[in-house]
Amino acid sequence: MAGVSLPEPFQSLEPFGAWALATERERRAKRLSSSMEEIQAFYDALFPQLEAVVAYLDQFPLDQLPAEAQPLYYLTLSLVEVTSAVELYHNPHIFEAIEPARFRRVE
Amino acid sequence: MQTATENRRWSKEYPELGTGPVPAESCISPEYFELERERVFRRTWLNVGRVDDIPNAGDFFVRELAVCKTSILVIRGKDGVIRGFHNVCSHRSNKLVWEERGTCRGALACHFHSWGYNAQGQLTGVPDEENFHDLDKSKLGLTSVTTDIWEGFIFVHLGPQPQETLTDYMGGVAEQFKGAAFHKRHLTHTYKVEEQANWKVALDAQNEAYHLPFQHRYSFPGMFVLKDNRYLRLSGVKLYNHHAVWSTTYNSESTPTPTGALMNQLNTATTNSRLPMLGDFDFFVIFPNFVILQFRGIEDDYYMTYNFWPLAVDRCIWEIKFHFPPAETAGQRLSQEYLKHRICDVLQEDAVAHETLQTGLNSRAKTHLILQDDEIQIRHFHTVLEDYMGFFNGRGH
Ligand code: FES
Ligand SMILES: [Fe+2]
Repeated sequence: MAGVSLPEPFQSLEPFGAWALATERERRAKRLSSSMEEIQAFYDALFPQLEAVVAYLDQFPLDQLPAEAQPLYYLTLSLVEVTSAVELYHNPHIFEAIEPARFRRVE
Repeated sequence: MQTATENRRWSKEYPELGTGPVPAESCISPEYFELERERVFRRTWLNVGRVDDIPNAGDFFVRELAVCKTSILVIRGKDGVIRGFHNVCSHRSNKLVWEERGTCRGALACHFHSWGYNAQGQLTGVPDEENFHDLDKSKLGLTSVTTDIWEGFIFVHLGPQPQETLTDYMGGVAEQFKGAAFHKRHLTHTYKVEEQANWKVALDAQNEAYHLPFQHRYSFPGMFVLKDNRYLRLSGVKLYNHHAVWSTTYNSESTPTPTGALMNQLNTATTNSRLPMLGDFDFFVIFPNFVILQFRGIEDDYYMTYNFWPLAVDRCIWEIKFHFPPAETAGQRLSQEYLKHRICDVLQEDAVAHETLQTGLNSRAKTHLILQDDEIQIRHFHTVLEDYMGFFNGRGH
């Protein structure tokens, strides 16, 4: 989903369009297949704006987000996915954990 | 904010449990496991789901209860009543429903010869019925399983006659949760981990907080009150007839992560829906294999459940469910996502321990588990288990 277009004040995040992923499965896979440098760059770009992004999204009821706000919302979910990698582990992976695929999400 | 720092406090409250080591044999013996099928899992109420899992007439789910060597179909009838059945066709015992969940529209048809059943479990259709001998369809419905509901949780009992009603079985836990607003929290995420571990090894490993500052030192630093800033101590323990709860208290002096701090701010929920909590985090073990975990949140309280499903003496499925109030805003949703994410990381570390513990036990290098006072709930669990099993006092040999 690279080449995503974001609403007016958040266009600086467009280079991170590949993180605009709809499902937890995709977001987890993206985190685990990214380098720490890529993760850090994404975090550094979005984290300082997170409050503003959420304020923007919170203008709308969550189940009625307009189409152009959707990728922005997915970016915030991806930020949550990488937050521990940046703030706690300094590594995309959890320190001593089972193979990620064994922690099976049931849809 | 009160956390017990007095040493060996709980054993003074519950002296009848003793303080000695607990035999490890129950977690490795195939003979023990075979007896557990009958003496524990056919003599207790087993949680299999929630009423919200099947909100509409005809909705069903199937539970593979390997430990009881059966598959259970739980279905909401046209009359709105939730019933449990063995998922077995009356003709020649084929497994009836193969999906994990679904909705019965009209009839559930057996894959073998297409006998059909309605949502009340009655046999409604038999192909080429005229060629059978004295077939009375009204007597050939699905075999019922004793099913009851407590605070929206569906339980089954596979014994011939439950000794206690579900409410009596829940005992003091039923009083604690009377009218709890579980229904205001939807099932938002489910995970399953198949583990090379006895179900009790997995459960025991979750059933204490002693390990948090060590095993989870990177993933969960400093969230709860520590004694001397080093050791986690429980703020409460209550031991019931069959069940138990322990609690911890949040450490108001711990520095949250940057995202953690922001999430508290972004969650602008106004639902303010509370659960009847004893501490900031409560861990209820509902004997034998069900756990309810409650978390104090800033605007809302959350709960999770675990079910530990035995597959073999050294294999189980750990089933994990998150229940959050429906998110109204992105900020609320995000803070729920953050909490879930942090917890899932911790649980992926836990799963490692379940298997390395089992490996160690299998070696038989040690015969017993040594428990400290804040692990008294594990001692209690094994005492209740032995009451059912009578293994070490001779009934098992
Ligand atoms: S076994 Fe089910 S129809 Fe024959
Ligand atoms: Fe743990």
